[in-house]
Amino acid sequence: MAAASPPSEPDGWLLDITESDDGRSVVLWTKERTSGRVHRTAVEYRPPFLVTGTRNDLSLLARRLADHADVESVRLGSGRPSLFDRRNRPVLSVVPSRNPARRALARSVDALGGYERFSLYDVDLGPPQLYHLAHDLYPFAPVVGRPPALRATEPPETIDYATPPLRIAPLEVRIAGERRGRIPPPDGRIGSVRLGEVTLEGPEEELLRALVDELARSDPDVLLTEGGDSFDLPWLYRRAATCGLSPAEFPLGRERVRFRPSRPARSFESYGRVLHRDAFYPLPGRFHIDRENSFLYRDAELAGLVDAARLSRLSLTTVVRQSPGTCFTAMEMAHALELGAHVPWKKNRPEGFRRADQLVAADRGGVIFLPPVGVHDHIDEFDFASLYPHIMVTKNLSAETLECRCCPESPVRAPGLGYRSCTRRVGLIPRTLAPLLRRRLAYKAAIKRPGVDPDEAVRLKRRVKMLKWILVTAFGYQGYRNARFGRIECHEAINAYARDLLARLVPEAERTGYSVVHGIVDSLWLRPNDVDRPPDPEAFARRMTERFGLPLGYEGRYRWIVFLPAVTHGLGVPNRYYGYYEHGEFKLRGIGARRHDTTVLVRRFEGEVLALFRAARDAEGVRALLPRALARADRFAEAVRSGSWPVEELLIAHRIGQAPEAFVTFTDSVAALRQLAEAGASRGAGEVVRYVLLDRRSRSFCDRVRPAELLEGNESYDAAAYLELLARSAETLLAPLGVDRNGLRARWGVPPAPERDPYHSPEDVHQSRLRAVGSDASY
Amino acid sequence: MGRTAPTYRQALEERMKRWDEFARLLTSPEERAAFEMVRTGARRYVAQATYVGSPDLLESLLLSVLTDLAVRVRSETSAPASRR
Repeated sequence: MAAASPPSEPDGWLLDITESDDGRSVVLWTKERTSGRVHRTAVEYRPPFLVTGTRNDLSLLARRLADHADVESVRLGSGRPSLFDRRNRPVLSVVPSRNPARRALARSVDALGGYERFSLYDVDLGPPQLYHLAHDLYPFAPVVGRPPALRATEPPETIDYATPPLRIAPLEVRIAGERRGRIPPPDGRIGSVRLGEVTLEGPEEELLRALVDELARSDPDVLLTEGGDSFDLPWLYRRAATCGLSPAEFPLGRERVRFRPSRPARSFESYGRVLHRDAFYPLPGRFHIDRENSFLYRDAELAGLVDAARLSRLSLTTVVRQSPGTCFTAMEMAHALELGAHVPWKKNRPEGFRRADQLVAADRGGVIFLPPVGVHDHIDEFDFASLYPHIMVTKNLSAETLECRCCPESPVRAPGLGYRSCTRRVGLIPRTLAPLLRRRLAYKAAIKRPGVDPDEAVRLKRRVKMLKWILVTAFGYQGYRNARFGRIECHEAINAYARDLLARLVPEAERTGYSVVHGIVDSLWLRPNDVDRPPDPEAFARRMTERFGLPLGYEGRYRWIVFLPAVTHGLGVPNRYYGYYEHGEFKLRGIGARRHDTTVLVRRFEGEVLALFRAARDAEGVRALLPRALARADRFAEAVRSGSWPVEELLIAHRIGQAPEAFVTFTDSVAALRQLAEAGASRGAGEVVRYVLLDRRSRSFCDRVRPAELLEGNESYDAAAYLELLARSAETLLAPLGVDRNGLRARWGVPPAPERDPYHSPEDVHQSRLRAVGSDASY
Repeated sequence: MGRTAPTYRQALEERMKRWDEFARLLTSPEERAAFEMVRTGARRYVAQATYVGSPDLLESLLLSVLTDLAVRVRSETSAPASRR
C-alpha cells in the first residue's frame, strides 16, 4: 500500500479490531481498496487501567502489585482521570500481563482497598475499543499506510462518507428431513447449507468441508442469518465436532476459533421486561449478523449500524448484538477520553439526601394530558424533534456541569427545582449529543434534497433511525443507576425543563387561536377555534421554535383522529389513538397493529377497518362508516366460527417472564412450553413462545394449545376464544363509536367468556391426591 | 420515577382502592352514580395535579374533583336548555 495517496483515495479500510487468542495483542482487519482482499495484522497491545487513591495507599499498592503474576508493570504518576477533577492527583497505572486478566486484577485491587480506598478507571473498556481511541481509528475508517501504522483519512464524525464495499452472504442451514422452524431431532444431520448463491448438499462431512472451501472462495465479509446465534452456528459446530473436524479444519471466520460460544445465552431484565439473549459465537475477521438477535438491525440495517460503529468505536459485531444504550455509553466514553478524562469503572456517586417533599417535587416525568375520548377532526399535531437531547445540549445538563462549584450564580436553573447548570465549560453529555443532533438534522435535510438518489435516501433513513434510538436512550441513561456518566438530578432537570416548556406552550397556542386537545411530553394536538379560518400551523411552529430555542415541528393535520378509552375507567388513555393525516398517512398508537403479540387475524381485521376509515373526510365520515365496519367484523366472526380460518394466522405470541419451571399456574404458555420441552426444545426466560389455542378450557397441556413449531396445519382451534379476541379488538378500535364487546358477543351469539375452574395451587392438588389415596393416610 | 416515590397517578389509583370501601355502603343508585362522578372528577385532572408536584395527595385530588364539579355546575347554569 502506498502511503502517499491523496486523502480522497484511501489505501483501504479498517474493518474491525478483535482480541487475539494470546491475550497480549489485538488483531487489525483491513480491507485493501484495489484488490478487496482482507489482511490480518496482529499488534502487541496491553492497555493499562488506572487507580486513584491517596499517595500512601497507591505506593503500598504499587509494591504489592509489583510481583503479582498477572501484572506486567505499574507506574505511579499524576493526572485528572475524573471529569470532576479540578487539579492533578496521584494515579497508578497498571498494565496486566494478559488482557483477559484485566477485570480479575481490577477486582482484586478494588478488594485490597476495601472497596472504598481506590477508584478505578478504564477497566471494562475492551482492548479493541481502547486501541481505536488511542490511535485515532474507528471501525470502517478509510485508512492510508501499512498496518499497524494506519492513519484515518477523515474523522469518524464525517457526515458524508463512503462505506467500504462489503461482500454480504446469507447463510442458512437445513437439517436433513426437517422443515426450517420445526424442532430438529437431537441427532439431526445437516442436509444442506446455503451460502450466498450456492447451495451445498451431500454427505455431512463432505458438505461441511465444502462449506469451508466455499467460504474461502467467495470470502464474504458479512454472514447474514435468521437465527444464526441460536440455530445455524451452534448446529454447524455441533455437527462439525461429531464428524471429527477440528477447529483448524472448520473456521467460519477468517481465523481459527473454538467451537464453543464466547458468551453463553442468558436471560436478563430491562425496563420491567424479561428478555433473552442468544449465545455469541465470534467469527474473527468476519461479521455475523443474526437478524433475529438484533434489535437494531431490524430498524437501522447495515447503513445505520456502520454509522453507530464508527461513532462508538465498537465493533460492528458488538453493535449488532447490543442495545442503543451500549452505543451511547461508548460514545460518551470516547468523548471523555478525548477530554483527557478516563472512564470510571464503578459510578461512585450515590444520590444526595433530601426531604420527602423535595423528592416528590423532583421525581416527576413530563406533562401528559388526558385526551378526550372520541372521534375528532381538524386537529393539528406538533412535535418537538429530539426534545430531551436538545434540552440537555441547550441547558448544558451533564453530571459534572450540574450544581458545579464554579458557577454559584448561574442563571440557567431547572424550573421549580433550581438545579444550576455550569456556564463556563460544556459538559460531556452535551458534547456527545450535539454532534449527533447535527448529524441527524443533516441526514434529514439530505433525504429531502431534490434529486437525491433513492438508494442513498434509504441509507440515510436507516442512519436517522439509528440516531433516533441512540438519542432516545441518552435521556433514559441519565436516570439509570449504573449508567457511567448518568446522574439522577440531570434526569429530573430535563423533565422539569420539558414540563415548563409545555406549560408555556399552552397559552401561546391559545393566543394563536388554537385550543389544546391533547399533549404528551413533547407533542401537542391542537384544534383551531375557528375551523374555517385556522391559524397557519407552519408559522406557529416557526414562531415557537424561535421563542423557546427548541425545534417545534408541524407533523400535519388529521382528517380525523380517534382517542381511545381505558377499559378500566373509560377515561382517555394518553398513548392509545389512531388517526389519518391529510397527507395520506396513518398514525397508530397502542392498538393491535403496534403490539408484537397480536394474531394475524386481529391485524387483518384492524387493517380492514382502517382501510375502510381511510375514505372518511372528517369525524362525521368515520361515524357514518360504523355500520360497514361492524359488517366487516361480522364477516370475520362468521369465518372464525366456521372453523376455516388458517391456524398459522391464529398464532399468539407470548414472551415468557420467567423460567418455565418457575410457573405456578397452568397458563396457555405453560401448556405450550411443556409440549416444546417434550419435543426437546426448551425455552428460557425472556424467550417468546407462539401457539394456537385449541381448547382454552382444557386442563390437559396437549389439548389446550399447539406451539407453532409443532403445528400440522389441520388442527381445529377454539373458535370461542378467537371470537373473544376479535370482539376485544373491535372494542379497542370502535369503543368511542359505542361498540363494546358484550354487545358484539350477543350479536355473534357467543356465550360470555366462561369462568375458569377456581385456581388450585400445586400444593392443593397434591393434598387432594393424598386424600384420594385413602382416608387412613396419616400426615 | 414511580419506584422510589409513587407517581401521582399511582398514588391516586391506590387511594381509589380505599374509596371502594366507601362506595360499598352507599345505598341508592343515585348515590352510587354521584360517587362515580366524583371518582371521574378525581381522575380527570391528573396532568395538572402532577404538574403541581405537591406532597399532599389529597390537596391535588380535591382540586381535581372540585374543578370537575365547577365545570359541570357552570355548564348546567349557563346553558340549561341545551342539556335537556
